Amino acid sequence: MSAIDRIADRVRRYRFGRSDEESTSDARLATDGGHRTGGLDLGPEFVQALPFWLPAGLLVALFVYGAIGWNFFISLTDWSGLQASYWPLDFEMYTRFFGKVLEGGLLGGPIEYWSFRNTIVLLIVFTVLTLIVGLLLAILIDQQIRFENTFRTIYLLPMSLSFVVTAVFWQWMYNPRYGIINSALETVGLDFFAVNWIGAAQFKLLAVIIALTWQFSGYGMVVYLAGLRAIPSDQFEAARVDGAGTIKMYLRVIVPQLRAATLSAAVVLMVFALKAFDFLYVIFGSRPGPGADILSVMMYRTAFDTSQFAYGAAIATILFVLALGVIGPYLYIQYQRGDL
Amino acid sequence: MPDNPLSRRQFVSVAGTAGAAMLAGCDGDGESNELELVHWWTAGGEEDAIQALIDGYEEEYDYTVNNNPAPGGAGSALDTVIQNRVLNENPPGTFQIWPGKAMNTYLDADVLADIGSVWTDEMQSAYQDGVMELAQTDDGTFVAVPVNIHRLNNLFYNVSVVEEAGVDPAGLETPSDVLTAMETVEAETDAAGMAHQTSAQWSTVQLWEDVLVGQTGVDTYLDVLDGNVGANEQAVKDALQTTADYREYFIEDAGSVSWDTGNQSVIQDEAAFLHQGDWAAGQYKSAEDFEYGTDWDYVPFPGTGEIYHVVSDAFVMPQPNPSPDATEAWLSYAGSVEGQIAFNTNKGSIPPRTDVSMDEFGPFLTSQSEDFGESSAQPPTIAHGTGVTPTVKGAVEDAFADFIANWNVDDTYSGIESAFN
Repeated sequence: MSAIDRIADRVRRYRFGRSDEESTSDARLATDGGHRTGGLDLGPEFVQALPFWLPAGLLVALFVYGAIGWNFFISLTDWSGLQASYWPLDFEMYTRFFGKVLEGGLLGGPIEYWSFRNTIVLLIVFTVLTLIVGLLLAILIDQQIRFENTFRTIYLLPMSLSFVVTAVFWQWMYNPRYGIINSALETVGLDFFAVNWIGAAQFKLLAVIIALTWQFSGYGMVVYLAGLRAIPSDQFEAARVDGAGTIKMYLRVIVPQLRAATLSAAVVLMVFALKAFDFLYVIFGSRPGPGADILSVMMYRTAFDTSQFAYGAAIATILFVLALGVIGPYLYIQYQRGDL
Repeated sequence: MPDNPLSRRQFVSVAGTAGAAMLAGCDGDGESNELELVHWWTAGGEEDAIQALIDGYEEEYDYTVNNNPAPGGAGSALDTVIQNRVLNENPPGTFQIWPGKAMNTYLDADVLADIGSVWTDEMQSAYQDGVMELAQTDDGTFVAVPVNIHRLNNLFYNVSVVEEAGVDPAGLETPSDVLTAMETVEAETDAAGMAHQTSAQWSTVQLWEDVLVGQTGVDTYLDVLDGNVGANEQAVKDALQTTADYREYFIEDAGSVSWDTGNQSVIQDEAAFLHQGDWAAGQYKSAEDFEYGTDWDYVPFPGTGEIYHVVSDAFVMPQPNPSPDATEAWLSYAGSVEGQIAFNTNKGSIPPRTDVSMDEFGPFLTSQSEDFGESSAQPPTIAHGTGVTPTVKGAVEDAFADFIANWNVDDTYSGIESAFN
């Protein structure tokens, strides 16, 4: 990381010109631009820094980026079964996957289509719901209530639980015969909503999204709370003086200022949604069926249940690209703002 | 610059020594009299069973066992471990596997050694043909030793519930009789018809298999296993339809529970029937006040009385093998009368050898063993890997993951058909 920070730092300084705390050598670099187009300073400082970041850098390069590269390489082969094949190096696995995805229509299609669709639905609905619930919790906590810290801890606690644990007890709560959720709904007369949550295909994904939202809204709350606390109280008072009601004040004055908090929380949540595996695997096993299958579960199943390593690797690469699609724009925005 | 180079040097030397020690540890000069055993039996009676087998083996031979279980995911965790180790050319001494077509992944890669020397004439004469075939490759080379036999085609029932409903399970002759019986149960009692689970697809796969055998006979079923799905289209569809009709009578939370949680409904008089392998009997045995004969009983799944639908586990010798002698001794012991008594009395299965005395097995398994001896066919299964290759099994499971979601017979049929092609 330090190496990347350092390089990024230099690149930025090079691009945006000198800042106040720049050393003289950097100032020279900035003023005679063009002389060192690479932007990398390979002087004695660089050599001295080597022992600090090079070992970690090499390990990360090998085990993270090397593994990603290797995975991509495997996805170009036709390896299935226990005899490794490093041939024919084409994109057949990818065309096969997207061909199947495109076969699907609104009402049905192959499992690839459902996995892809469910992944996208989970990504969007889970993120939006979690942000909304997190924001509401943060606003409530921010009302100078008593026991504020206690409530904050209570809301954040689900985050600290393992998905295996939460999956098992949500599985119990969703049980249509004994589960607390349907019992509660029936007690208050909402029998209509007492559905077969994790048994019926059309509700499975919703059940997963609700449970994951429960688990992650505490995180959204913490991020938003920090954002709310950073807004000077003058603005609350000014809005009041100008006659804004509570709802209008939040909608027009406060929430728009939480853009940075929303963005960073959304990125974390979306990347998590792409990786959500444990929760589904514990409840549904490796075949959740069309109702709840997502790419990460399908990747595992394809590679390890059916030994189609190349196809599994292709799905893994697609997931990786989706994650990059989420993180990339975020990094770019941060970079443009000079926050990176 | 670091201002304390000495401590850094010390640190580096300590770290280096530790690293070298770890490398040496990895190397671990492989004691050839240690047998590494990988299996997935870590729960209840299963764990006792494998431990009994290990104890007997260590007593009989001069080897020790490095017991290294990889539980989880109905064997998929073990598959992951073994496949990675095979790819790294570092397989264990022996591992658990479903015999039959499930071994294809390993046979294709030439990982399983010929163990003809283990299969002595004495051992061959003690095994039934159907089971012995599972231990062989297509060209008749022995590569595995089946260590237990579970029966899949059982219809367990709660005696008091069926009596209250006035249903006589012994009188059921076809799979559709089961449908009528469940209808009667739900009309006459508060209990559900069948404690079936639909949260994972495998229970429904095996139910459909036995409905197919029960409706159109074992030859049709075996023909389907051979890949001739199209030729048996109507039979396959009829069996799917009957299975789909059953779902009206499943317990209400079928889609939310595992098979053993569902089975609690039978124990608590809340469901009448259960189609399941005879491992379900282990749960009845450990339940309090729930006795064989008076509280629960079973019949072969209607229409499959002559059939012993075999689910089996086996051990193999992967190659290159770190401990060939110890592995060969293990396989011989697993195929011996003594080893199979030690293992199966705890596992709740019957020994594949037909010359084992059933004195220690209790009435239920003794009855199963008699059925096994008299059975006219011992077909393998899809749901438990013996009858089809892992690729076909995966595709069939995909089709059934769809089936238990929308119960669409035509879609599932085309899923099954394309799975076999």
